[in-house]
Amino acid sequence: MKLGWQIGSVCFFALFAFGLVLALQLPMGDALGPGPGFFPLWLGLVGAALAIILFVQVRRQPADGPGDERLAPDRPAVRRILAVLILLAAVALLLDPLGFRLTALLFTALLLPGLGVRSPMIIAIFAATAGFGVFHVFYYWLKVPLPLGVFGI
Amino acid sequence: MRKLAVSIVLGVAALATAPVMAQKAFPERPIQLMVAYPAGGSTDIGARILAGIAEKAIGQPIVVINKGGAGGQVGWTEMSRQKPDGYYIGFINLPALNTVITDKNRQAIFDTKSFTPIINQVLDPGAVWVKADSPYKTLKDVIDAAKAKPNTLRGATTGILSDDHLAILMLEEAAPGAKFRLVHLVGGAAMLKETLGGNIDIAFDNVGSIVTQVKSGQVRALAVMDVERSKFLPDVPSTKELGYPTVISSSTRGIAGPKGMDPKVVKKLADTFKAAMADPEHVKKMSDVGLAVKVMTGDEYTKYYEDLHKKAIKYTEWAKKEQK
Amino acid sequence: METLNFLLSGFAAAATPANLAFALIGCILGTLIGVLPGLGPAAGTAILIPLTFKLDPTGAIIMLSAIYYGAMYGGTITSVLLNVPGEAASVITCIDGFQMAKQGRGGTALGIAAIGSFIGGIFATVALVVVATPLSTLALRFGPPEFFALMLFGLSLVTGLAGRSLVAGVLMTVVGLLIAMVGIDPVVGAPRFTFGIPELYDGVGFIPVVMGLFGIGEILITAEKPYKEVIKTSFAHLLPSAAEWRRSAGAIVRGTGIGFFLGLIPGVGAIIPTFMSYITEKRLSKTPEQFGTGAIEGVAGPETANNAYANAAMVPLLTLGIPSSPTIAVLMGAFIVNGLTPGPFLFQERPELVWAIIASFFIGNVLLLILNLPLVGLWAKILEIPWQYVCGGTLLFCILGAYSINQSVFDIWLMLIFGIIGYLLRKLDFPIAPAILGLILGPQLEKSLRTSLEMSAGDFTIFLTRPITAVLLLLSVTVLVVSALHLTPPQLREASED
Repeated sequence: MKLGWQIGSVCFFALFAFGLVLALQLPMGDALGPGPGFFPLWLGLVGAALAIILFVQVRRQPADGPGDERLAPDRPAVRRILAVLILLAAVALLLDPLGFRLTALLFTALLLPGLGVRSPMIIAIFAATAGFGVFHVFYYWLKVPLPLGVFGI
Repeated sequence: MRKLAVSIVLGVAALATAPVMAQKAFPERPIQLMVAYPAGGSTDIGARILAGIAEKAIGQPIVVINKGGAGGQVGWTEMSRQKPDGYYIGFINLPALNTVITDKNRQAIFDTKSFTPIINQVLDPGAVWVKADSPYKTLKDVIDAAKAKPNTLRGATTGILSDDHLAILMLEEAAPGAKFRLVHLVGGAAMLKETLGGNIDIAFDNVGSIVTQVKSGQVRALAVMDVERSKFLPDVPSTKELGYPTVISSSTRGIAGPKGMDPKVVKKLADTFKAAMADPEHVKKMSDVGLAVKVMTGDEYTKYYEDLHKKAIKYTEWAKKEQK
Repeated sequence: METLNFLLSGFAAAATPANLAFALIGCILGTLIGVLPGLGPAAGTAILIPLTFKLDPTGAIIMLSAIYYGAMYGGTITSVLLNVPGEAASVITCIDGFQMAKQGRGGTALGIAAIGSFIGGIFATVALVVVATPLSTLALRFGPPEFFALMLFGLSLVTGLAGRSLVAGVLMTVVGLLIAMVGIDPVVGAPRFTFGIPELYDGVGFIPVVMGLFGIGEILITAEKPYKEVIKTSFAHLLPSAAEWRRSAGAIVRGTGIGFFLGLIPGVGAIIPTFMSYITEKRLSKTPEQFGTGAIEGVAGPETANNAYANAAMVPLLTLGIPSSPTIAVLMGAFIVNGLTPGPFLFQERPELVWAIIASFFIGNVLLLILNLPLVGLWAKILEIPWQYVCGGTLLFCILGAYSINQSVFDIWLMLIFGIIGYLLRKLDFPIAPAILGLILGPQLEKSLRTSLEMSAGDFTIFLTRPITAVLLLLSVTVLVVSALHLTPPQLREASED
């Protein structure tokens, strides 16, 4: 998978270079042995070297043919992926303020249509189960604390 | 169809939310009791035993939540940011809290003023112990050996800047010339394993961690770092009677809240927990686990908290110097 | 034979209706806890301890132990069906188990996991009875230097996880090791690479990371396609075919051995035996390229190792009073709270109790098998639900799981970020398993090195003068050299012609 590895090795090289820079700011050793910066330094060096080797190795490969997987997803796919990600981020943001029940309700109510479920009845049942059923099981039976949110629900 | 769906959701919501709305006086909803260590540790066990008894008296559930990480720093950071309305309180472990504050590396966003001490539950004195077939039979043997061959005896702690670490430094200070080779392990189980396995010569931990092993005879406790003997280890001398009255170290666990709590709420919580700690079930369970209950509230606890902090500053700085 | 007598009376005690019921309840609860992500065995067991206050000591311990190894199996279910590791030990099952599920062989995967777990558990318990004490004293000799060498050996095997490109595999391992450096360092005790975020002080949370890389990553990949065919699981496929049995047999035997021996050493952790088993199977297989696409040995071996480990890990607790892992520490707390002192003297003071508990391990393993095999069909049915609902359910699952570890939203963010990373890695065709290995071994590697040097006051020869350490280090070097030699020019050319 030529293009993938090329992109990947460049990204990884950047990661290792970043790690290297940070590692150099840490003490390398003390009387007893390697310090906190020692391993990160070497990992950064080895990693960067490997990224370069991979990049070079891949250059000799033929370019990706029609049989290889297309890298960039098409429009609808991007929409679906973004939908999932945005909803997850929304949950992370809203969980503490709104509390678990409300957040799970909203999440389910928005996710299912986004994935193609049409029937409002099913969405409603799922949302109610997700928000309140799950909460009940976890909070009251299993005694796992879940956020109650600003409204106390 | 849509309307029906919406009404179902609202109906379930109304039904499910109903129990949460309750009376008027504090507390009127569940209280969160935070433990800054993962579930199953001795602080956690003590917390759950206490919460189970206290919640019956106070009339609302007391939910134990675990916010472990970074030796307690994650949990305490979280607590320092909460509203001081009495619904979020947590366990503070001293001197762990103190060392996190005084160690500049840790960049703690809180300090001693960030918390309102409510009541102390456990005071677990430090203990020096060795494995049963060790050549060292008394604390004096250990100190003599440490003086004769400085930096050879491997002394273990349960973590960098733990109460055990500070305790070793106190001992070295009280017995000039004695120097131990410090080995920082992670937790009591590791200490047990390494000492029994012969990789550690002297172990520094707390009474609560070794009561069962002393009873089973695998381990010999040489001293308890307190002004008096521990009732769980009545045959083990205290450091005070052995001639080292300055080597007093212990790990305490108490409940505190964020700063700025209403004194009436503090008093209500303190009284409830105090009564719960006196409950026979609490006494028995804590005794079984080997944790000594020492109730401290109000000014006594605040003073203890502040005194301990001064001590912690001194030894933390010493420990940091040693590390260079 | 005295031991046999004790064991038989233990069975008599353990097989009372009450104790049988406790064991059954424990297995059910344990499986449920294992299925629910985030609520790991340790937390789940701790939460249930108050339940056991009302029971007699034997019953309480039997139930809690059943919860413990029941949870080991529960984690497998979500790994196979949803690609979400229920807990750390199930991570490697995701790799081939989930692929099998996608091919309609989910039931088979769960079935072989149940059977393998059973065999591993029974054998480990038998071995426990026979060789517990001498072996556990041997296990005590695994101090920090030995751990360092063991972790290094584990790392040297990573070449066995590499897929099409050895370089990419090693690179991912280094990535994992680098991420493992985040947190408070074991040398000075100061935060490293944490950018001021206290939640990172203990390192990057393992469960949110794997839930993100595997669970969320998989969902994002699947979301690319507009429709997902419903996989019809034919019931005939619930039991492995004869060919699959033959392939799994060796894996199960080896998995038992690996899991048992590593379980005796306190502190090893459940993930390492599963990885070792997987790598071993891949190396020994005549068709290594099948691993990662649904090779049944990739499920049979690790799952067996998992359960053998779980049962064997009770040995240090019973014989020496040393808990091997946080979950077992909770069990130990349960012992103590019920008035029992785990350790060598427990065998002498209360033999009838210890043997009843050991007998209950046998019974528990049988119960788990009886409980889970029929349910395999039911679980596999989940795969027939239209994908939209499975996706919603899985996401909710993951959110709950990530949050309930530390009651922190930070873990959800972590999971989200690693979900994106997991998606990208898959698109770019980089193997994820080596990174996980690096992430697990990294912290222990560094800490063991540091502790060893503290013990020896900076003297590096400690690694050569201790026999076990020296042997393991030699093995690691050998493995690395042999793997490097495989990178001969013809193979390099071959790799680039891929």
